[in-house]
Amino acid sequence: MHSFSVSPRYLAASLVKNRRLMLDLARRDAVGRYKGSLLGILWSLLTPLLMLTIYTFVFSTVFKSRWGGGAAGTETASKGEFAVVLFAGMIMFNLFSECVSRAPTLILSHANFVKKIVFPLEILPCVTLLSAMFHLCVSVFILLVAEWLIVGSVPPTAFLLPVVLAPLCVFILGISWTLAATGVYLRDIGQTIGILITALMFLSPVFFPVSSLPERFRTFVYLNPMTYPIEQSRDVLVWGHSIDWSRWGIYTAIAVLVAWLGFGWFQKTRRGFADVI
Amino acid sequence: MSSDIAIRAASLTKGFESYEQPSDRLKRSVLGLLGTLAPLPPLRRALFKRAQDCVRTFWALKGVDFEIARGETVGIIGRNGSGKSTLLQIVCGTLAPTGGEVETRGRIAALLELGSGFDVEYTGRENIYMNGQLHGLSRDQIDARLEQIIEFADIGHFIDQPVKTYSSGMFVRLAFAVIAHVDADILVIDEALAVGDAFFTQKCMRFLRRFQQTGTVLFVSHDSSAVRSLCSRVIWLDRGVIRETGEARHVCTSYFEAFYRQQQGEATSWASAEDLGESGSDIKAPAGLTRQPAQAQTADQRQRFIENAAGPGVTLTALDVDPHSLPTQRDTPLIESVELISEQGSPVSWVVGGERVLLRIRAKRPESGSLPVFAFFVKDRLGQPLFGDDTSLTSTGDNAALREAPAVEAEFVFDMPILPPGDYAFTALVLTEAAHVAGTIAVQDCVHDALIVKSESTSVTTGLVGAPMSNIALFVRDEVEQA
Repeated sequence: MHSFSVSPRYLAASLVKNRRLMLDLARRDAVGRYKGSLLGILWSLLTPLLMLTIYTFVFSTVFKSRWGGGAAGTETASKGEFAVVLFAGMIMFNLFSECVSRAPTLILSHANFVKKIVFPLEILPCVTLLSAMFHLCVSVFILLVAEWLIVGSVPPTAFLLPVVLAPLCVFILGISWTLAATGVYLRDIGQTIGILITALMFLSPVFFPVSSLPERFRTFVYLNPMTYPIEQSRDVLVWGHSIDWSRWGIYTAIAVLVAWLGFGWFQKTRRGFADVI
Repeated sequence: MSSDIAIRAASLTKGFESYEQPSDRLKRSVLGLLGTLAPLPPLRRALFKRAQDCVRTFWALKGVDFEIARGETVGIIGRNGSGKSTLLQIVCGTLAPTGGEVETRGRIAALLELGSGFDVEYTGRENIYMNGQLHGLSRDQIDARLEQIIEFADIGHFIDQPVKTYSSGMFVRLAFAVIAHVDADILVIDEALAVGDAFFTQKCMRFLRRFQQTGTVLFVSHDSSAVRSLCSRVIWLDRGVIRETGEARHVCTSYFEAFYRQQQGEATSWASAEDLGESGSDIKAPAGLTRQPAQAQTADQRQRFIENAAGPGVTLTALDVDPHSLPTQRDTPLIESVELISEQGSPVSWVVGGERVLLRIRAKRPESGSLPVFAFFVKDRLGQPLFGDDTSLTSTGDNAALREAPAVEAEFVFDMPILPPGDYAFTALVLTEAAHVAGTIAVQDCVHDALIVKSESTSVTTGLVGAPMSNIALFVRDEVEQA
């Protein structure tokens, strides 16, 4: 076995070559999750709906939260609108948490791909991402329908969502490669990742807008990698604002760097996978 | 690498490093990396030493060199822990060598362990697609071969069940079926044929023998007869180094000699070397025991024929059919039934050897209207033909009637030889002697594994065949005979 190339060209070639395999695995992962359950694929619709109901109830009725905090025109009154705003942020965070929480055990749970056959292991994080993207699409569909029912209209900027998503996906892949490779050697990561993700969720502007924070904390919130995608997705999906291109550019550059480093780390450490699994 | 070489390994080493914790593996890599980056030699040495302390190494391969030419079938033998499986895994690329390198040419398909690479949650059909894609087939190619693969695996409706519900036999059937259809250039097989029933083993052997004609096979087995019958060359691995390499029979013999010597050193019991399959020929009959040669009660019927009928100018050549080049597809099924019957007239499914049996083959008349010739042969579990015969020297006396009869039945009566325990398969054939030109025969129909017979013999302990004993007796003698 030769050492594995870290070049992006190798990655691109592998992704193209294994595209059918990735799609098959992703479909299997996304749909197969509900295999044997009575409602089947309906769960992918029901789960986000139920979560949305619970969060809306807790935050708007129990905690009596208000969306707003200064930015003009963002003050909302109705619970329905609160739900839509909350949901837009949650969708983005769920994509992240679904991929990242599975990453540390990704290689470990596919031990036979490591030991028994020559498998393009680098596609495994992409498979998780594709499967999570399926759930994201379902959720976005629910969101748009809910928005249309509650608010009465869907902003045309919603079509920009893929542009917002693209750098996030690249970023998620980078984190996934890093965690997947490291998780093989440091099993503790699998245990702690859940706590970290929960912490990150409450630190991200999912349940509050960044503008509601005191000025001195805002810089720190923007260091959170989820802040930009969550805010931006709300802009295009709910508020009808276009993309802030300068921020988008910075975020994309960082995401690509993270992805390349993660991929490099994965390729460099994978030679040892078979020795410790 | 020359284009004639399929696999080349150069000073291959593999150290298995065991770590107290998985994190030590990472620690060693990081310390090693720091070591190479460290500016001062003493610091570098200290870091490397710390890195080495994290690990205990077992050397499974200690410098292995070999080249395997394209089209060669090479067996690897050696005791448990001699590095055979490690070597195969490195050749396949699932394991990284510690030192040295291995180069391969062409598509490799491997059957390393049971159901390698199957996802047990997926159904057999889905696994075919996944495995096929991993072996470089496109989806369309798999679509085109799916039927063949399913037919080869022959696991019925289980093909749509999750693989976790499979028995180990079904597992290996499916795995073998897939790798048999991925157009591999190199086939790597590790002890996989030990599972699976007689019918399937026969099928695999047929495939392997056909594959051998074009592809390269690397084959690991503890079964010396399998190795010798399949491989042209054998590599004997002993504790991570190549002890000997060369012609199969030769290397196997010296391997067993060495094995024996060691066994005898450990214990004098021959029984402990049971699994060697053969040898022990130098056990001497106890002195003072004389045996009457058994009276020959039967003789080959051909002797009678040759003695009585063969006039001058008649050449008696039994048909020369190459058992390995028989068709596997039955284009025009002629053979209607094949049965093996005991003297009492009941069907025979197991034998101990020595009993008289009757093999009856019934077939429709070939379309060509030429004289049909029936033949059979018996193969061992590796597909090696053991014995057989045909009706080319037999006639009813009325060839015209034979040519026109709608169906013909052939009977072979013979004494079953004593065979080592195991499964034996009968292949039945209908041939025609094309236009009575000697030597040109055409296979009209061929049924592989028409019958499977189990040998329950207990009397063959060390040899390949046993001789039917008419009488074994002991006599008490009062005197010592003077020489």
